[in-house]
Amino acid sequence: MAHARPIATTRSATGIPTGRLAVWWVLASEVVIFGGLLGSYLMHRLGHPEWADAAAHTQTWIGAVNTFVLLTSSFTAVLGHQAAEKGDGKTAAKYLVLTMGGAATFLIIKSYEWTNEILHGYTITANTFWSFYYTAAGLHALHVIAGAIIMGFVAFDAYRGRELHRVELIGIYWHFVDVVWIFLFPLLYIAK
Amino acid sequence: MSEHQDGHHVNYRNVYLILVVLFLVSVAGPELGIRWLTLVTAFGIAIVKANLVIQNFMHLKWEKRLMKWMLTTSLILMFLMVAGVSPDVLNHEGRNWENLAAQAAVERGVEGEGEGGEVAAEEVVAEAGFNAAQTFNLVCATCHGTSGAGDGPAGVLLDPRPASFTDPAFWETRDMDRIRAVIRDGAASVGGSSLMVAWGASFSEEEIGALADHVASFRPPE
Amino acid sequence: MADTAVEVHHGHHAHGDHDHGPSGILKYIWSTDHKIIAMQYLFTGMFMGVIGAFMAYVFRMQLAFPGISVPGYGQVSPGEYNALITNHGTIMIFWVAMPVLIAAFGNFLIPLMIGADDMVFPRINRLSYQVFLLSAIVLLVSLFVEGGGFGGAWTAYPPLSAVGEYNQTDLGSTLWLVAVALEFVAFLLGGINFITTLMNSRAPGMRAYDIPLVLWLIVIASILFMLSVGPLIAGAIMLLFDQTIGTGFYDPARGGDPILWQHLFWFFGHPEVYVVLLPAIGITIDVIATFARKKVFGYKLMLYTTVATGVLSFFVWAHHQFIAGIDPRMANVFTVTTLLISVPIAELCFVIIATLYGGSIRLTTPMLWALAFMAEFLIGGVTGIFLGASGSDIYFHDTYFVLAHFHYTFFPIAIIGTFAAFTYWFPKMFGKMMNETLGKIHFWGTIIPFNVIFIPLFVLGMGGQHRRIYNFEHFPEIATAAHFQLRQIATIALLVMLAFQLVFFYNCIMSWLKGPKAGKNPWKANTLEWTAESPPPHGNWPEGLPSVYRGPYEYGHPDREEDYWPQHLPG
Repeated sequence: MAHARPIATTRSATGIPTGRLAVWWVLASEVVIFGGLLGSYLMHRLGHPEWADAAAHTQTWIGAVNTFVLLTSSFTAVLGHQAAEKGDGKTAAKYLVLTMGGAATFLIIKSYEWTNEILHGYTITANTFWSFYYTAAGLHALHVIAGAIIMGFVAFDAYRGRELHRVELIGIYWHFVDVVWIFLFPLLYIAK
Repeated sequence: MSEHQDGHHVNYRNVYLILVVLFLVSVAGPELGIRWLTLVTAFGIAIVKANLVIQNFMHLKWEKRLMKWMLTTSLILMFLMVAGVSPDVLNHEGRNWENLAAQAAVERGVEGEGEGGEVAAEEVVAEAGFNAAQTFNLVCATCHGTSGAGDGPAGVLLDPRPASFTDPAFWETRDMDRIRAVIRDGAASVGGSSLMVAWGASFSEEEIGALADHVASFRPPE
Repeated sequence: MADTAVEVHHGHHAHGDHDHGPSGILKYIWSTDHKIIAMQYLFTGMFMGVIGAFMAYVFRMQLAFPGISVPGYGQVSPGEYNALITNHGTIMIFWVAMPVLIAAFGNFLIPLMIGADDMVFPRINRLSYQVFLLSAIVLLVSLFVEGGGFGGAWTAYPPLSAVGEYNQTDLGSTLWLVAVALEFVAFLLGGINFITTLMNSRAPGMRAYDIPLVLWLIVIASILFMLSVGPLIAGAIMLLFDQTIGTGFYDPARGGDPILWQHLFWFFGHPEVYVVLLPAIGITIDVIATFARKKVFGYKLMLYTTVATGVLSFFVWAHHQFIAGIDPRMANVFTVTTLLISVPIAELCFVIIATLYGGSIRLTTPMLWALAFMAEFLIGGVTGIFLGASGSDIYFHDTYFVLAHFHYTFFPIAIIGTFAAFTYWFPKMFGKMMNETLGKIHFWGTIIPFNVIFIPLFVLGMGGQHRRIYNFEHFPEIATAAHFQLRQIATIALLVMLAFQLVFFYNCIMSWLKGPKAGKNPWKANTLEWTAESPPPHGNWPEGLPSVYRGPYEYGHPDREEDYWPQHLPG
């Protein structure tokens, strides 16, 4: 990292540290992206009661397990933040790695779930319900992957005692990913 | 550079346990099979869980008011969007209009076997009984004319003019295969004008055959 | 004092510049310096502007002289015509107006005007440009693939845009969509930088109301963009899937709805026009304050009015869909909100006029551009009333009246606003003064032809001439000699206007090479950028970052001998 940090980055006229301020703005834009997609789905679903037949085939138990996995990974993420606040980089990194493990578990379970569904003929083009299902859950999964990758870099630095404030930042992003799933789960799996 | 946010000591483990309990309730609720209860537990609990995560794990509770306003604004915008768009997307009919295709899709789905797979649009039309003459008048006659003479209202403006199926000269160089090919892939595919577009995406092979037969019905007797 | 320690630290850095990466030409490609990134956006935007202008030249020639072999292009087929008008619009909005007004001037001005040494995230800044450049390349490639460029209008309504058999540009339409999506990502990344930098990195002493209005407006525009683009990104993903893998998001027979796309598009599309408008207004205010030597009349009024406009802009989108088959009850609502939004904009105009009143006006080239912005945008704005009222819109929708209206708004925004900013900040960016005479020749050579192009189009629109038609000879009622004369007048005026742009390019190059040195503050302005060297070095103020003691518009202060009072001077 040969790059000098500008003085601009260290200032804080609002009282919120720059990095955290930026993450909140990222989340604001993500809210409208997912909001647009989920809002579109909701409107279509309400206008198409016959999709209930298609939706009956989403696997609620697998979705529930994944919900639990993400909830737990949020817990480990915030424990990582707690450790980082105390300056304990190694513990923070450990918790971040656990969170990444949660992400990996989530993705593996989802791969199994989707493979199952595709083999049964519920593909993305089978029915517009399934189109929404794969698109929404897929966009979410992309965010899980991206988050896990960034978390890896943060954990790497944290283990060496560097840039500990980033643990909180990637944590905030991670909790958001969890919150999106908290709404996706009832939308796609429960209130079908 | 993480500030030590004193004055708030969240017991993260307790929050997590509450979240798990709520999660179990939200999964158990639907099992009771009461629809309104399902919706309340599913979405109501989702809101509560999300709130717990946002306030406690993301520390929004202790964040500057500015950011709370900002995030609330983006959420409100989403409600605004859904409110503004719903009257169009949710309705399939109004005072002077009907969305026939959507209504047909709903009926198909409701009557369907419940397998969750799609009944293709082409099959639907086949079920309803494809009427080649009606389709020709709706789709083709604008250019080719209802009598197939190439004199449809839109056709007069085109260059080259649309083919006239009542002209014997037309039939000297066409056979049924070529007519079906032109309907399916467009005239450009056989070296003709790109003004006759491809319709293969809209009609099945049987329907194209029926349309070609209808075109042939305009052929003048020998 | 923390400031001193910071200054010393920074001075130490400036001495041994070893951590600033490669040198030579690579320095420009890999630089994270906000001024270099600004230049990259500026030149890419201007290059794309030339391409967009060329497209306009070609299709206007076809309209005025149907069937002609256009010099430099050849004959225009109907499909090519559609691709030209589609990409003209798309390029001018996404690859000219936004990068130049927001990304280029935002990048250049924000750190300089708030007294910072760079943006808060220089590497994300660089990434945003790289993504942007990629998007431009993808867009240009889409024009040359098999089938040609996408021709379904910049609004890309399905099913035309979703089904390759309909639009006949299978690959082109997908590449177009991908290019637009990439551009959105680039501006999301850039926007976060701008917002965070303005919020956090201001000089000591610079309170919220000491920020120059141009920066406020650029950042509010970034916020508007960020909050409105989300649903369209979702919609674009759905359209992409419809195009490539055969989903039915917008196909009613498959349970989708094409009107959904329209709503998602315009929910973004309307705030988008304010996204580009606000920076142009901001530039206009700052230029006018400097050359009227007068405080802005009602700084807070302008700020709150702008915020109100931004909020209201989210409530008007369906006025683009009045005859698309939307629920008529919604049309009522949107008529009211659309007419309402003209009120804050009118108020902004009045505040600017009040700023001019009693000022000591110097008609320099930037000032001429700023004044022209007001006059031309006013015409654009009032013609919008006819379109916002759903009753009259039933007639006007999709006619050239709409087209003339939005060119009377977009042209002031994207072109006049750019020239105002460029001629004003050229001395700071390049260290030389532009030639005033050439500047004025270019100004009149642009403004007069501009009006001669679009006033005939209002007339033609009122006469019922429809948009997106490649040859009006096919419509006998509007194919008379008189009609064609109007089209030809408009086209010839375009040729004249394009010719005068050569004066601008000549002026730029000669001034850069041989113009008189500009010094730090040739316009005797108050804001912080005029205290740095021209052009500013890396880090902007190697000798130490400034602090701020007053607002940005202290012109003509009674206690001062000079008629200006720079922000950074103590006491």
